[in-house]
This record gives sequence, structure tokens and C-alpha cells, in this order.
Amino acid sequence: MKKYGVRGLLILLLIVSLLVAAGMGAMVIRPIQVVAILLNKLGWSVASDSYTPAMSAVLLQIRLPRICLAVLTGSGLAIAGASLQGLFRNPLVDPGLIGISSGASLAAVAVIVLFSVLSPTGGLQGHYLLNLGTFCGACLSSILVFRFSRVEGKTMVATLLLAGLAINALCNALTGLITYTANNEQLRSISFWLMGSLGGATWTTVSSLLPFVVLPVWLLPREGRALNAYALGEMEALHTGVDIRWLKFRILLLATLSVGATVAVCGIIGFVGLIVPHILRSWTGSDHRRLLINSALAGAILLTLADVVSRTVIAPAELPIGIVTALLGTPVFIVLLYKQKKNLYNHNI
Amino acid sequence: MIRVKGLSYYAGGKKLLDGISCVIRPGELTVILGPNGAGKSTLLRLLSGERKPDEGQVLFNETVLYSLSPRQLALRRAVLGQQYTMSLPFTCEEVVMMGRYPHYRDQPDSRDHAIVAEALSALGAGHLSRRLFNTLSGGEQQRVQLARVLAQLEEKDVKEAMSRFLLLDEPTANMDYLHQQICLRRAREFCRRGQTVVMVLHDLNLAAQLADRLLVLKEGRLVAEGGPRQLLGVEFIRDVYGLEAKIFYPEPGGFPVVITNLQSC
Repeated sequence: MKKYGVRGLLILLLIVSLLVAAGMGAMVIRPIQVVAILLNKLGWSVASDSYTPAMSAVLLQIRLPRICLAVLTGSGLAIAGASLQGLFRNPLVDPGLIGISSGASLAAVAVIVLFSVLSPTGGLQGHYLLNLGTFCGACLSSILVFRFSRVEGKTMVATLLLAGLAINALCNALTGLITYTANNEQLRSISFWLMGSLGGATWTTVSSLLPFVVLPVWLLPREGRALNAYALGEMEALHTGVDIRWLKFRILLLATLSVGATVAVCGIIGFVGLIVPHILRSWTGSDHRRLLINSALAGAILLTLADVVSRTVIAPAELPIGIVTALLGTPVFIVLLYKQKKNLYNHNI
Repeated sequence: MIRVKGLSYYAGGKKLLDGISCVIRPGELTVILGPNGAGKSTLLRLLSGERKPDEGQVLFNETVLYSLSPRQLALRRAVLGQQYTMSLPFTCEEVVMMGRYPHYRDQPDSRDHAIVAEALSALGAGHLSRRLFNTLSGGEQQRVQLARVLAQLEEKDVKEAMSRFLLLDEPTANMDYLHQQICLRRAREFCRRGQTVVMVLHDLNLAAQLADRLLVLKEGRLVAEGGPRQLLGVEFIRDVYGLEAKIFYPEPGGFPVVITNLQSC
């Protein structure tokens, strides 16, 4: 009962937060007007005197792409976080913390400078090239950290975090180095995008991100059962019939695909992959068959609302969304760290 | 029936198993004995299909074990390891249900749920089903894991019945006396249903009480095999463990009891 109720509730919350996000801003659009504009756009004529043409333009050209971007990024990051936590068998894992995002970000900067792809204004092809680059960067750093942190099939928490720290530091240094050699125009597009923001949302960026998030959100929940068995241990998963090499390959591939693509479009937005699964686990348990798809939904809600906060709290200026998610995420991270510390202590006795 | 033919296994330039051949029959509870580092756990790993041998072959009902896919293998055999740590919070019910994964595609049906509940209560762990696995004590965790592997080998209906085998690596290590007995009894009941059970034990008295057949390993070799009454003797314990011991038979025709001499080591 609770299992299915939670998903329904999350879908409801998502719809509400979409309407809130569509309506809030310098120009307030009421939910009924939002619905009317959308229906008219879809070809169903509804009385159009309830809203002004300006409202329609703002909604369709500015807010809607941004909301779509928030939904895609949120669900992509959250589902990647949840499945990587399953793969590393540790709730502390977040694509940002263990260096996957910074690997992707380094690759993106390299692509921008080396190939002069201007990310915010370039066409779809440029975006796909950027996506490819970030995917390679994300893959490389996730494989590195996965190899580093595991001893005899077990994830060492300290090594995991240290490896993440090292990869983050190295990637940031290299990013700095490349930035140093960039010309003015490149510099502008790099810094625009390093801030981690949904501000660059257009229908082009949305469509460049769409396949790389839809694919993981569609395929990753199918691995739920195998990931549950994997939580018992690598060999135990094998003994219950899971092809573990294939599982590891698919999880790493799909999770880094979605992290890489979101980094390519919005820069690094941290902690989404950490907070969302954490909240859901304490609510509905660890079963990945529910957790993964619920994470995607809750991630979309979280990022949509965080974006509303980021663009309204100091309007007309914008607070980078990464700051909002970090403010929410760091306390969660500390709580998780504290719990693990207690666990380790108990094991040592 | 498990048929082991000339099994050898090397790791790090060392020969961990050296030409082991034996036959393990269904309905005959088989216990592997031997000192530390004799290769007991390695043998169990090869029998489980987790590792492949460098030489030799393992046949289960005349099928080469290593030709089966992980899922095919999972329907035929279950393995209980020595220790489990789970850092993600799962309830015991969920953990035991993981044993049913090879048996269903999307959702477990009522039969799967019934098997899980039965398995837990058969090990005196029914009251733990809603508790989080990582908050349990070592012995309780081990019981839940044993429930999981027993649930894995439970068939859904008679149609899919096939012969199966169960491998246990020191199943009673962290358990209190009562639960040791309960667990070993469940393993023996499973065996008496015509299935194959192999376990590693350290306690000679438990082995004597329980086993139909003993396989004794020393330095990677199979040095002796036979029934407890036939094998367990003063000479044997001195040879294998380097210990002096006395053997008693509390009941005529019953199992032997080994009492070691503390001064001898």
C-alpha cells in the first residue's frame, strides 16, 4: 500500500511543483492560466482572454525550457546517485563528491577550448560533441574511483572519499590550467557554464539533454533487483544468479551517461544524488526496485523547487542553483557521515 | 550428485588445491574438515562455481558446473558465506526475498512470500522480519542469511523440481548453542529430502554428531574421507591437527565425542 502510495504522491507533488515553477517569477502566471496557455499551444482552443500574450511568450520561451531542464537534470542526477550508491554499496556516494562530475566538467572545458564549441549558443551538434566529451570524462573518473576504492570486492569508505577528493583536486587544477590558455570568447562560455546554473535553458539545450536522461531513467530501474542482491556482496549477488560484470558495466555506463550529459548542459550541481536517495531510503526503504524510479521523480521535484528558490530569492538577480542544493545537501552528508562513523565503531568492537 | 575430478587451483604462485577427486552424494550430509589454510573455503568456492579450477572439473548431475549461466546455477545451488556486512539498510524480509530472485521475473507471488516467511520462522527468526539487517547481532544476521539461502533452494511447484545443492561455510560461527543446533538441523532436513549439502565446520564434535560423511583436507590435499565413526580416532586427530585427544562413545552405536588435551599444544 505504502509502496505504491509513495509513487502516486511523488507524481502529484511533481505536478504541483511544475505549476508553482511555471507561475513564479517577475511575471506571476496563475496555474489556471498556465494550463490555458499550454492547451492553446497544443491546439485545443480555450478562452485566451484569461492571459496576456506576454505571459504566453514568457512561459513558452523562458520558463518552460528551464523547467524541463530542471526536471531532466534533477531526475538524471538523482537516479545516477541512487544507482551508484547501490553499485558502491554505500549511501555516501554522490557523483559530485566522488569526482565523476569534475571529471565531466574537465572534459567539457577541454572540449570547449580545443574544439571551440560555444556551449550556450552553439547548435545541437555542438551540444552532442560536448555531451560526448563529458561522458568520456565522467566514465574515466568513475572507473578510476571504482578501482581505487575497492579491496577484494568491498568498498572502503575512507579510500572512496579520498579518491574522490584526489580526482576532484586534479580535475580542478587541470580545468584551471586549460582556462588559463583560453581566449576571451571561450572564457566567457566556460565561466558561464562552470557556475552550475539552469540559466542557459533553451529548447536546444533541453533536446540535447533529453535522450541522455530518458535512457538511464528508463533502463536503470530494471537493474533494481540485481542491485538489491549486489548489496549483499559481490559474490552473494553472483550466487543468486546476477551476472555481476555485466551489471557493473551497465550501471557505470548509464549513470555516467546521465551525469555527463547534465554536467555538459548545466555544469556541476552537487548533492542532488545524495539528498534524494537518502530521504527516500528513510521513507520507503532501500529496495532499489522502488528507490530508483522514486529517486528520479523526487530529484525532478527537488531541482524544480530549488530553481524557483534560486531565481526568486534575490530577484532580479539569480542565486546559482548549486548553492541552494549545497545548502540542503551538506547537512545530509554530515548526518550520513556520522551514521557511518557509528557503524564502523560498532563493527570494530 | 557432485562429482569432483582432479581439482587443482593456484593463487599467487601457490597451489591451494592439489588434485582433489571425490563424489558427494545427495541425501548424505558431507562435512569438510581440516586445519586453517587447508583449502576448505577454496574448495567450496570452486564447488559454488564462483571460481574456475586451473585443472580438473566439477560435474553436478553429469553437467559441467562452469557451463551453466549464473541464473541457471542459482536455481540449483545456494551458498552461505562466513560474514556479511550491508551498509545499505534492508529489512530481513527483503534480504531473505533476495534468495527468491532467480525464481520470479517482476513481482514475487504469494508463494514466494510464504516461502520467505517459512524460512525465517524455521530458523527462529520470524520476529526479525521487519528489523533492519544491519542492526542485528552477528548470530542473528547469520540465521537470516541461512534463511535466505534455504529460501533460494525452495521450489515453487513440483513441476520445476530438480536436484539442488547447498554449500555452507562455517554456518554456525557466531551462533549460540541453541541456534547452532536449529541451523544444523534445518540443513540436515534439507539433505534428508534427497538434496546435496556440503559444509565446512571446525568443531569436530558438531561434525561427528551431524555428518554422514567427512572429507578431510590438509595442505590442499584430500587426506581422508569416510564416516565419523570410521575416521575420528586418536591417530587421525594427531595427524591432521597435531593434537592429542581422547575419543568417547557416550551411547553405544552413537556418535563419537572428542575431548582434546590442552597440554598437548
